[in-house]
Amino acid sequence: MPVILDIAIGEPAHVAGDGAVFRQPGVAIHYGAPDRPGVVCVQWEAARAHATLEPGSTTAQVTLSRAAVRRLDECTRVFLNAVLILVLRRAGWHHLHGGIVLDPDGRGWLIAGDQGAGKSTTTALLATSGWRVGTDDMVFVGWGTEARVAVAAARTPIALRERVTPRFRAHGVLAPHRKKIVYWPEELGSRWIDRIEPDIIAFVSAGLDRTTRAAPLTAREATARLIRSSAWVMLEPALAQGHLDLLGRLARQARSFRIRLAEDLFNSPGRLQELTA
Amino acid sequence: MTTYYRQHPGLRLTGVEDEGIVLHLDTRRYFSVNETGLLILDALRNPQSAEQLVGVLLERYNVTAEFARDCVAQFLTSCQDSELVVQNDAA
Repeated sequence: MPVILDIAIGEPAHVAGDGAVFRQPGVAIHYGAPDRPGVVCVQWEAARAHATLEPGSTTAQVTLSRAAVRRLDECTRVFLNAVLILVLRRAGWHHLHGGIVLDPDGRGWLIAGDQGAGKSTTTALLATSGWRVGTDDMVFVGWGTEARVAVAAARTPIALRERVTPRFRAHGVLAPHRKKIVYWPEELGSRWIDRIEPDIIAFVSAGLDRTTRAAPLTAREATARLIRSSAWVMLEPALAQGHLDLLGRLARQARSFRIRLAEDLFNSPGRLQELTA
Repeated sequence: MTTYYRQHPGLRLTGVEDEGIVLHLDTRRYFSVNETGLLILDALRNPQSAEQLVGVLLERYNVTAEFARDCVAQFLTSCQDSELVVQNDAA
């Protein structure tokens, strides 16, 4: 199903009031007026930009002010990215904050966790160890083959905090807006993979132990954690059930683990395979 | 007058290994429920009295009516506290 961002430059509509149903930094999402049920409006607050999505449509009508065009990089990263997430959702692809990798045995992994949990460092380490990497940060969950759930990667570089980059031989590029050093998977010796059908879900967190540990999770626990990583599930009542069903199916399809990351992973990233064998 | 209960319209449910996850779109919270809770919440897609819900449990489980009545009463109380069910006076 094609998704379209139909972009014009002009005078964006202004949605008055504080009735946002969802907010991301700098972006407010409103439902349409009561006489327009199902309509969603997205507004960028840093410079005026506005998008409207009609119910069921995979086209977003976008208007950017000239001020927004002058800040096009930021506009794309913050505002248009949010619009794209909403449009893709209508096409059956639901945003999840996490990364995907494919291990040397051909098993697909979804790596999820809170901000600062170690998703990116883990992804980068695996990239240096013969694993194929999709992304460390933004994926989309949808139906794959034979009633399995697929997870598609947004093609974005892996972003690492400066304090861990000396552990990697490759030279990344500073992304000032993120205050991180970014690497494409290929720069770390990996090959990019656009999607997987997860066999393993790793909910990672940074631990203080000497060795990395893994504990299995039930499908119910995994579903609850996936909801936390896929906050858009709470938006747009007409789409919420399909989104929730996908997360539940994903949790049943894959084996899930809570993984406390430790220093030993830097020397033996393959330990993740042993822990989940 | 009989009191009827139904799911809050902002609820979305999914079953996971005989248990359930419940999303409340209005309060932006999610809950886990056990198999019995999932059965009751699923029945509450349509308005039901407490006694009708007791019947739902008796149909599925080999328990006494008194036990089922206690289960339903406790579950409805906790669901009302969390706004998972709403009450209406007519079916």
